[in-house]
Amino acid sequence: MITPVTAILLALTAMLANGEYFLGSSMLSRPLITCTIAGLIMGDVRTGIIMGASLELAFVGSFSIGASIPPEIISGSILGTAFAIGAGKSTAVALTLGIPIASLVLVIKNLCFIFILPYFVHKADRYAEKADGSGIGRMNVLGGFFSVNLPIGLVVGISYVLGSPVIKTVLAAIPKFVISGLGIATGLLPAYGFALLLKMMINKHNAVFFVFGFALAAYLKISVTGVAIFGACLALILTGYSAYKDNHNQGTGNGPKDNNGGVNKAQTGGINYEDEEF
Amino acid sequence: MKMKSSKHITHKDLMKVFWRSFTMEWAWNYERQMNLGYAFSLVPVLKKIYSNSKEKLAEAYKRHLAFYNVTPWLSTFPLGISIAMEEQNADDPNFDPESINDVKVALMGPLSGLGDSFFWGTLRVIATGVGTSLAIQGNILGPILFFLIFNVPALLTRYYGLFVGYNIGSSFIEKVQKTGLMDKLSYGASVLGLSVVGAMVATLVTIKMPYKIGTGTDAVTISKIFDGIVPGILTVLFTLFIFWLDKKGWKAAWILLLIAGIGIFGAWTGILGGI
Repeated sequence: MITPVTAILLALTAMLANGEYFLGSSMLSRPLITCTIAGLIMGDVRTGIIMGASLELAFVGSFSIGASIPPEIISGSILGTAFAIGAGKSTAVALTLGIPIASLVLVIKNLCFIFILPYFVHKADRYAEKADGSGIGRMNVLGGFFSVNLPIGLVVGISYVLGSPVIKTVLAAIPKFVISGLGIATGLLPAYGFALLLKMMINKHNAVFFVFGFALAAYLKISVTGVAIFGACLALILTGYSAYKDNHNQGTGNGPKDNNGGVNKAQTGGINYEDEEF
Repeated sequence: MKMKSSKHITHKDLMKVFWRSFTMEWAWNYERQMNLGYAFSLVPVLKKIYSNSKEKLAEAYKRHLAFYNVTPWLSTFPLGISIAMEEQNADDPNFDPESINDVKVALMGPLSGLGDSFFWGTLRVIATGVGTSLAIQGNILGPILFFLIFNVPALLTRYYGLFVGYNIGSSFIEKVQKTGLMDKLSYGASVLGLSVVGAMVATLVTIKMPYKIGTGTDAVTISKIFDGIVPGILTVLFTLFIFWLDKKGWKAAWILLLIAGIGIFGAWTGILGGI
């Protein structure tokens, strides 16, 4: 039975699940949790828990590592469970009903990530210029709420009312290239973040280390952690780490000995950072 | 700044950072990832540290709104180090503030490598294993244990990470300061930081050009041709292109629209392919 109250409760469940990112990345978005709550709302906790276990195993490979965000499992598992319990069907049905909705939400999420969230990110920059810390805080809280949390809640609530077939029709109406184009754009967006980061860090004298890290990763397929280790070694070599140690530990025998830190400072004085501000 | 500016950071201040760090992924964005969460976490501490200089406070906010990403449960460790360095920066006019971001960036790769394999690869697998085996029988303990097994260690790491980071940061920087090696530290940090950024550009920006040139077995994709010149050259050129647009004074909204446009146009013509 479809009631507005159920729709609202399911929407709130989706928002709570996404709220994990406000609450210490605490796994609230995993099917084990969301399906249990959805089951409770639909009046069959036991089935909800069992569906949660099956969906958890089905989605076990989906988690965010580094820069990627997980596929939209929140809406898929909540609505899948709700539809399946409502229709008295099995977990397999939950999965097949859930996946089109998950795809639709992913499209909407990408749209929000590209067109809404950046507004908050850049507004925060303007608050930073004015040294307005609470402004930055507002952008953090409102940005996450309006560009991810609320849209997910709305889509889940509305989708529940409309039902799975309507979602499929909506999805079919969106041109394929728009969907995949948005996906491609999300792969390109980190370039902007890195460009801004480079603006803060790079100058004529240290640009070579950017090339060094890039080449290690591109040619030798070394992971970012691996490159960090190479970079750390290079940094220690270039700054004469052994000389630094010798202050406390005479006679290790490697490297030139500078007992006086002040001498070191004078020697490296040629590297002048202060006048390289961009 | 001539006077000693930073007031001492207390346990209470650090606790504020601890709670705020819970929102680290809330406004996660493709462009700068955890930047809003990171800056938000530091606001109360930075306010205290730079209470007598609005300009320096603004600079600090801008610094921490730069790109950042780390396994969220470990985020308090770099936060602790950043706090210690900011404190030093406020006290010492010779401190190189650029080194704060360099150190942060340098920690990003190794910490995430460690964190992802521990939290995602180990802890979550254990929690899921225990949770699902109970839940599959319809036992309510399944989801409850899943939640607890994961979150208790995650919370402890988040809590202790902050204090360990802050203490390591303070004592290390004090030592560096005493021995007069600040120049070396900032130089070393920039070497390490930039290497990591170079590697991240190569691995985290995705450009695929699946369009084939030639026929039959001779056909090669455009990506292959570019990779034949220098692997990943497309990603670095694209990043430098955006860098250049930004330097030219392009507004953020236009750059973002351009990127979305490139993605959709690329998919429409088939020049660019999915990830």
